[in-house]
Amino acid sequence: MKSVQDPDYGRALFYPATVLVEKEAADYPLTETILSRLKKARVVFVKRPAASDFNHLTELYSPQTTLFLARHRGRFLKACPGTAESYRCCLYQILHLGLGCNIGCSYCVLQGYLNNPFITQFVNLDDAFAELDAELAQPGVFCRIGTGEFTDSLFMDPLTGLAPRLIDYFSGSKNAILELKTKSVAIANLLDYPGEIGETIVSWSLNAPRVTAREEGFAASITERLQAAARCRERGYRIGLHFDPLLFFPGWEAEYRQTVAEIFKYLKGADIIWISIGAFRFMPQVKEVLRDNHPQSNITAGEFIRGRDGKQRYFSAVRRQLYRFLVTEIKSYAPEVFIYFCMEDQCLWQDTFGYAPADNAELGRWLDECCWRYAADV
Amino acid sequence: MADFATGSCRLAEIDFRERAFPFSFGQIPPRLLESISKVGLLQPPLLQVTAKGYRIVCGRRRLEALRRNGAADAAIKFFAAPAGNLKELFRRALWENLSQREFNLVETADIYNKALKIFSEEELRLELKPALKIPGRQRFHKRYQAIAAFAPELRELIAGGIIDSESVDIISEWNDAELKSLIGLILETGLRRNKLREVINRLDDLARRDQVSVCEPLAAAGAVVSAAEGRIDISALRRQLQIRLYPHLTAARKNFAEKLAKLSLPANIRLEAPPDFEGGEYSLSFKFSDRRQWQEACEKLNSIVPEDIDEICSRS
Repeated sequence: MKSVQDPDYGRALFYPATVLVEKEAADYPLTETILSRLKKARVVFVKRPAASDFNHLTELYSPQTTLFLARHRGRFLKACPGTAESYRCCLYQILHLGLGCNIGCSYCVLQGYLNNPFITQFVNLDDAFAELDAELAQPGVFCRIGTGEFTDSLFMDPLTGLAPRLIDYFSGSKNAILELKTKSVAIANLLDYPGEIGETIVSWSLNAPRVTAREEGFAASITERLQAAARCRERGYRIGLHFDPLLFFPGWEAEYRQTVAEIFKYLKGADIIWISIGAFRFMPQVKEVLRDNHPQSNITAGEFIRGRDGKQRYFSAVRRQLYRFLVTEIKSYAPEVFIYFCMEDQCLWQDTFGYAPADNAELGRWLDECCWRYAADV
Repeated sequence: MADFATGSCRLAEIDFRERAFPFSFGQIPPRLLESISKVGLLQPPLLQVTAKGYRIVCGRRRLEALRRNGAADAAIKFFAAPAGNLKELFRRALWENLSQREFNLVETADIYNKALKIFSEEELRLELKPALKIPGRQRFHKRYQAIAAFAPELRELIAGGIIDSESVDIISEWNDAELKSLIGLILETGLRRNKLREVINRLDDLARRDQVSVCEPLAAAGAVVSAAEGRIDISALRRQLQIRLYPHLTAARKNFAEKLAKLSLPANIRLEAPPDFEGGEYSLSFKFSDRRQWQEACEKLNSIVPEDIDEICSRS
C-alpha cells in the first residue's frame, strides 16, 4: 500500500505551461491559489472570449498546455443532460465547476460538445455555493450531485484544492450527496482532509485493461485506480464505480472478467455504494471528431445502430451480451452491490436484471435510497 | 485590371503545365466551351512573362477552352502581370476567380497548399482561409493536404464531385493499394457520392474493426457478389458489406423474418419489429376497404396463438 504522503497521490495530471486568466476572474481567491501553485507558467490576462474567439485563441495557445480561468455566469447546478425519455436516466445533478480535461480518452463525448477547447476552471466558487444553498434550502429536495460530467473531478485537484472545499460543504448537508468521479489518483487532498467525511462518494471509472491502455490516454491504470479507491475507503469515503463506456471487442469477456476480479482484490461489496454500467454510445457527429483526434482508435467501427435518442449505440443483442456478462461477474463476488444502467432501455434492464425502473423518477429513487442506507450505516 | 499593361501573344506560347497559380482543375463547364466556340475569348486573361513564354495567372479555363477548340495558334490579347510580387498577384487572381464561381475541392486544395507557401499565418487566417471557406480546425488542413497529394485519377474523381469531402476525410488515411482498389471499384460500378460514401464508410469500419487492409473486406464482399451476379452489382455489394459489419443485426432480422413467416399473415396485415430492434415496441397495422376485409383481418389476428406472439417478442 502507498503511504498518504505518496507523491503520486499529490500530483495533478495537468500542469499547464500557460494560464489564460479572464480579466474578471483575476481577483478571485481560487485564481490566486492556482497561480501560486504554477509559478513557472506564463500568465496571460484576456478579456472574456466570445465563442467565435476560441478558434483564434487556439492558434496562439495550445489547448493541450493551457488552462483557462474564468468566471461562470450561468447556473452551476444543472440536470445531467442524460438522454431522451426513451432511455432510463437517474436524474443526477451536475455541479458545473469546470470544463474539459487532459486525460485524452478516445471515446470522450466532450470532444464533440464543447465550443471552448481549453481546460477551464471556474473560479467564482462563492457564487456556486450560494446557488447550492438556495437550491438545497427547498423543502423535500434530495440531490445526488457530481462534478465529473464535463471534466474529471480530481485530475487537477492538487492545483485547485477544490475537493476539500466541496467535502466541507457537503459534510454539512442533510439533503445532498457529492460524487467526485475520476480516472486519476490525485487523492492526496482527500486523504489529508482533516474533518468528518460526511456525504461524499469518490468514484472511479473502470474499463477493461486493454481499453485503458489503448483508449484512456494519461489515465491511471486500473490497479492504480483501485489502490487509490482502497485508500479512500480506508479514510472513510464510500466508493462508486462506473463501467462506462463498455466496449465490444475480440476477447472482451476475459478482459472485463480481469477488471472485476481486480476490483474485489481491493474492495469489498459493502465498500461500494453503486456500480453503473453503460455501453459505448455517441452522437453521430462525434464519430468524425473522434477519428480525427484519435486516428489509431477503432472503437467507432462496430455494430452501431441509431438509438431512439439519435445516438449511435451497439445493437441491443450486443449490449445484452455485455451487460449480462458483467453483471453476472460482479454479482459472483458481491451479490449485494447495487448495479444500474446509465441511459439504457427498459428492455435491457428487464433482460439483465429481471426488473426495470418504471420511469426516471423510480431509478432516481433507487439511487437516493442507496445514499440513505449509507447515511444510516454511518 | 486597369492598372495592368496589355499585350498580345499566341496561344501556343502559353505554358499550360506551369501551375504557380493553381486556380483551375477538372472539367471545363460545357457552357464555357460553348461560349468560347461561339464568340471567342472576350475577357483577356492575366499572364506573366517568363523565360519560357507566358505563365497563366488568371483565366486558365478560358484559355483551356480556346485550346480545346483547336485554336492553338490563335492570337491572344492579355493583361500583363508584372514580375515579382507573387503574393499580390495570387490574391488578385483568387478574388477574381471567386467573383466568377465556387472552387471544387481539388482547386481549393491546390490553392490552399500554394497559399501556405507564400502567405503568413496571419494572412492565411484573416483572408485566405475565410475566402476559401476553410475552417481553422486541423481536420480541414489535413483534408486539403491529402487531396493535393492524391494521384491524378483520384483528384479527377474528387474534382468531378464523385467523391465528396466526407469521403475524402476517410480515404485520406488509406494507403496507395487501398486507394487503387477504390478507384477500380468506382470505375467498374459507377458508384458516386452518397452510395459511394456509404460503401467507403463501411469498408473503413470493417478494416478498422478487423485491423486489416480495406482491400480485404472489399475483395471478400466483391467475390461473393461477383460469384452470385457475374459482376459487381452496387446493391448486392452494399448488402454484403452490411451483413459483414452487422452480423448480429443481420441474424436478428433473419430470425424475425422466419418467425413472421410462421404466422402466415396476409399481405394487408403488417407486423413490424422496432427499428433495428431498439426498444420493445412492435407495431401492427392492416389495410381494409370494406367490412369483409375488416372481419377477415380481425379473424386472422384472433387466430394467432399467444405463444407465437411470445416467440415474436422474444429477445433471447
